Amino acid sequence: MQADLAIIGGGPVGIAIALALAKTPLKIVLLESGGMSFDAKTQALYDGSKVGTPYVTLEASRLRYLGGSSNHWGGWCRPMDAIDFEERTWMPYSGWPITKKDVDRYFVKAHELCEAGTLYYDGAGKVTGDLGPRLALGPGGLTTRWFQFSRMHGSVLPTHFGERYAGDLKKQAKLTVYLQANVTRLGLGRAGSAISELDVATLDGKKFTVKPKAAVLATGAIESARLLLASNDVNTAGIGNNHDLVGRFFADHPCPRDNATLVLFDGKIAPYYLGNQVAHGAILRAGLFPSEDFRRSQAVMASSITVEGKIDLDDVGKAAVAVTAAALGVDASNAVAHSLGCGMEVTPDPDRRLTLDASRDALGMPKLKLHMRLADQDFAKYRLTLKELGRQLLESRAGMLKLNSRTRDEWFGSLDWGNHHMGTTRMSADPRKGVVNADLKVHDVANLYVAGSSVFPTYGAANPTINLLALALRLADHLKGAVK
Amino acid sequence: MKRLTRRQTLWLGGSVVVVAGGGVGARLLLRKRFAPTPYDDLIALVEDRDGAAQIGETVLAEVEDFEPKTMAADLRTRIAGRPLATVIAEDASDRRIAEGGGWVLPETLALICALAAKASA
Repeated sequence: MQADLAIIGGGPVGIAIALALAKTPLKIVLLESGGMSFDAKTQALYDGSKVGTPYVTLEASRLRYLGGSSNHWGGWCRPMDAIDFEERTWMPYSGWPITKKDVDRYFVKAHELCEAGTLYYDGAGKVTGDLGPRLALGPGGLTTRWFQFSRMHGSVLPTHFGERYAGDLKKQAKLTVYLQANVTRLGLGRAGSAISELDVATLDGKKFTVKPKAAVLATGAIESARLLLASNDVNTAGIGNNHDLVGRFFADHPCPRDNATLVLFDGKIAPYYLGNQVAHGAILRAGLFPSEDFRRSQAVMASSITVEGKIDLDDVGKAAVAVTAAALGVDASNAVAHSLGCGMEVTPDPDRRLTLDASRDALGMPKLKLHMRLADQDFAKYRLTLKELGRQLLESRAGMLKLNSRTRDEWFGSLDWGNHHMGTTRMSADPRKGVVNADLKVHDVANLYVAGSSVFPTYGAANPTINLLALALRLADHLKGAVK
Repeated sequence: MKRLTRRQTLWLGGSVVVVAGGGVGARLLLRKRFAPTPYDDLIALVEDRDGAAQIGETVLAEVEDFEPKTMAADLRTRIAGRPLATVIAEDASDRRIAEGGGWVLPETLALICALAAKASA
């Protein structure tokens, strides 16, 4: 089978690129491993092993059918900040080869695909004023900022890309979607400098080959690394792995639950902190975020703090609130305590990595082993951010904060994950530091691109979907000129 | 309605005085007493001495080599006769923050609480 462009993976990224290029003259095939709904045998192709820091199983947080993991995402959207793209002295391996400005113009279309309404984000305060005031915080490192949410038409929240866009994909004359089509090998040509063919197999034993002029690997940060590493028939290190980077720098957002207790002396908090609120057609929720200035001055990483449900205080907590409020000259007779949640950025770590395992899946592909690690320093830096929030609450006399975790055991006692896989095919202008370049093309391979959060060199604290969609749409623009 | 006689009125009034006086006396007798310390002036700045001592225990767990007399002298210099609310607001804005049992506290208040804990030890 011939094609101008093969897109491997029918998740949000693959679907976004396919639709963005559907009106071009390019003949496109979209190869999706699963069907239109969950199938246990297909899902089992994700199976792998893990060692090190406790982490979710490799098959747990992804879904392998059209729409990919958008079939169970939470719909949280928030663009990364400009600082997330910068090289920072306090963060090793930081620095993207592009800036936020290079991506900014793609967020409108990305928002449209997620059906997330008008982009408000940091301007959302203007449309939520009727719902109550923002938390009074003294001047300092944290401010209220906003998430927006994907919302699929009808009763389904949020947008499931397969279900939502299957009809649109079918309508495209030059686009063919193959379901149950598992790419098992990215075939390099003899010179090793370009992809010449893709081996495709189904679980019921059918096999075929696609010969594309170019290919986009959009199978998520775990599978994309596996395909590159396992396609080692020409280059024994795998594809794009001349500098031993594929699979390294795996990352996720740790989400320690109930990591702090927020007490508001007057007991009042606007509803948009506690849950989603609809305003002017958008679904919004506020969070507390460290400012760029604070991140720079304190050398901390990104984090997004959310206010969760009410909780009861113990006797020491009640005493702390009563004594502090009285000392500040504030009435705390109506004080209310809330639990805080968060998503934390982690330091890029080359040894937090995926490697091929000796065992094989049902299609004969090597399984993966995840070597998971998480530095104490990442928790310590987040703790500094929380402490600043506590200080700002005292300064405004609005409330106070308790930090609930200090030791590694305490952090891990309440640790959940964002299930945001990132970093395994990182982007860099320098082939020694990244797998793909600024155009998401694999270094030293003329016609292979990788899209998705696997290309993020650093991770921010924003939920990745809207960001990886913006990058995918930027790649689609590039492919319009690059693939003839 | 039957009117009270002069004698009954005197008895009733006397009884009220005795009961009220007894109540006040009992409260004085039952009131928690603290041994005097050289830093009672500082502890008196917080309203709830028992609550302050509770928090103070957690603050002391965070501080090494806490020497009450020296600390009290430092605090008096810092407070300089100003209202406590003013001083701890200044602590917050000047980033003088301490921790006790995870609670983020203005440093001056945390140290007064620590003195209260020392006093009740």
